[in-house]
Amino acid sequence: MNKPLIGIFFISILLAAFSSCTTPEGKTKIVINEVLIDNESNFEDDYGVHSGWVEIFNTSYNSVNLAGCYLKVSSEPGDTVSYFIPKGDVLTAISPRQHALFWADGTPRRGTFHTNFVLSKTNDNWVGLYDSGRNLLDQIVVPAGILKTNQSYARVSDGSNEWEVKDDSETKYVTPSTNNQTLEGNPKMDKFEQHDSVGIGMTITAMCVVFTGLILLYLCFKLVGKIAIKLRKRNAMIAHNITDKQEAKDRKFGETPGDVIAAISMALHEAQGADHDVEETILTISRVKRSYSPWSSKIYTLRENPHKK
Amino acid sequence: MGEFVNFLQNNLADFWTYTGFHNATYQHFIMIGVGIFFIYLAVAKEFEPMLLIPIGFGMLVGNIPFNMEAGLQVGIYEQGSVLNILYQGVTSGWYPPLIFLGIGAMTDFSALISNPKLMLIGAAAQFGIFGAYMIALELGFDPMQAAAIGIIGGADGPTAIFLSSKLAPNLMGAIAVSAYSYMALVPVIQPPIMRLLTTKKERVIHMKAPRAVSHTEKVMFPIIGLLLTCFLVPSGLPLLGMLFFGNLLKESGVTRRLAETARGPLIDTITILLGLTVGASTQASEFLTVNSILIFVLGALSFVIATASGVLFVKIFNLILSKDNKINPLIGNAGVSAVPDSARISQIIGLEYDPTNYLLMHAMGPNVAGVIGSAVAAGILLGFLV
Repeated sequence: MNKPLIGIFFISILLAAFSSCTTPEGKTKIVINEVLIDNESNFEDDYGVHSGWVEIFNTSYNSVNLAGCYLKVSSEPGDTVSYFIPKGDVLTAISPRQHALFWADGTPRRGTFHTNFVLSKTNDNWVGLYDSGRNLLDQIVVPAGILKTNQSYARVSDGSNEWEVKDDSETKYVTPSTNNQTLEGNPKMDKFEQHDSVGIGMTITAMCVVFTGLILLYLCFKLVGKIAIKLRKRNAMIAHNITDKQEAKDRKFGETPGDVIAAISMALHEAQGADHDVEETILTISRVKRSYSPWSSKIYTLRENPHKK
Repeated sequence: MGEFVNFLQNNLADFWTYTGFHNATYQHFIMIGVGIFFIYLAVAKEFEPMLLIPIGFGMLVGNIPFNMEAGLQVGIYEQGSVLNILYQGVTSGWYPPLIFLGIGAMTDFSALISNPKLMLIGAAAQFGIFGAYMIALELGFDPMQAAAIGIIGGADGPTAIFLSSKLAPNLMGAIAVSAYSYMALVPVIQPPIMRLLTTKKERVIHMKAPRAVSHTEKVMFPIIGLLLTCFLVPSGLPLLGMLFFGNLLKESGVTRRLAETARGPLIDTITILLGLTVGASTQASEFLTVNSILIFVLGALSFVIATASGVLFVKIFNLILSKDNKINPLIGNAGVSAVPDSARISQIIGLEYDPTNYLLMHAMGPNVAGVIGSAVAAGILLGFLV
């Protein structure tokens, strides 16, 4: 294959890839998940203090380290406070699908998770999360007056796009450092138990997919096989100096079955000198008596005494 | 002096509570008996010795009674014990993909490439998985457990372990032992079904000799196979990825050392560890339950369904095939992925009825398609239920 053809091949693959695949819409692994501004009797920190907090959620199925990232808060135009999440604390690594909680108490000396800002109870609060390269990962504006005391502004479920006020009611409860929506049961399983208790649905769907996969492979290799036979026929025609396609078809070029090829290979192998069954050499096997084995022999394991000279 | 004697007596009495004799229950002896039976089958009858020897001996290892209250860290279910560490490869599911790597490196897909329609038999035989799934649901297992049990019908030990470790870890011991036991019992289970479902005329069908397959086709197979199957079922990637990777190592012709390691020392090492730990996981206290017995029954049923559906599919398929391209239904059993045993059964039964009819290479087609099919089926179940 010449170079332009190879180039066209790769370009077409790239074009196909770009045209058919959907991008994940710039989704980041870590997002701001829940914000509580006015904490009077909600979750308290290790010092027994009630402060506002910002919860970050790792949406991926891999650990993500927040060290080196920035949390920024602004409640007035032109007044942005930036908190650098310190490096060197193992607790900044968030496990897959887990949370990290940062206290907006303005006392960073209390530890990694205590920030240098406080959230405003009267103005809009803009909270932004930046990576170490200062690229914006996620942001949220908590409108002024939307939250009462001990209420939080949170994603409906972890990592989802919709936000709502969690007012600690029966279905919308404040959830610091835990899932925004507690799953009571397995929805997938429930669906199966409800609609397909016998398993016929699963059987039909799954068998269809299995057949589709293998039919695709079948079609693909039927095509590949046809091309391979055609190429072999063409090569055979060149080797025999034949140009007439009908003659090639009559002589069944390129259609030699595998067992014929195996027989020819065997014959060639034998013709090349592999056909001697009787060896000229005489092999003598004499019994050697060895009463020890390497496992029990002391000769190989004991150190020799030093020789006196 | 009396106090010292008393001390010795107490010591010995204490020691006695740690011995296997003191802690033994009848369940331990049942499992030890099963283990010895497996070893007997492997040694005397040569039923899958590579599997049954490690599993059988593992059963002995796992059923040595000991004081479970003492925290000796010897049992397979005690965190931090040596056996428990070795068992991690099973529970976290990384032994099966490595086995698949070896299988890929030792499998010749030529028969399948030369006659790709045989792939459909491999697909049809997967009905065993879903047949058993439906029966398991009827018996009261939840969908995840039913799927893990059903996969026994795929006749693929690594796939069964992989799927059960994800869907029903508590049933994994029984599922793994059941899958491997029935794989070993393929020569007993399949022939009667094959004879029952075929006529004498069908059994002597001579199939067209497969064409020679070029090196390029063999190299293309793992690449295209991976892309097609994994784009369709990404959840099958750990198994299918390793299977096709191993095959590429073999067929590329330029990575001979890697291929030899994958199909030799690597797969042997993993087989030893997998067999031993799966056997040891049958600790009587965890294993001898009603569920385990049900799993064994369902496993047998799924094998029967898989074999029957493969054979019946060929019979139906023959209705639309031309006279020259007819398939011998005796290779239908090979759709289950017990490689190469089920293909060997096709060959043996075929020769019984016509000593000139060699079905082995033809049966290898659906046999390896069955490996792909069961991995795809496992991926589907994983995708649907997790």
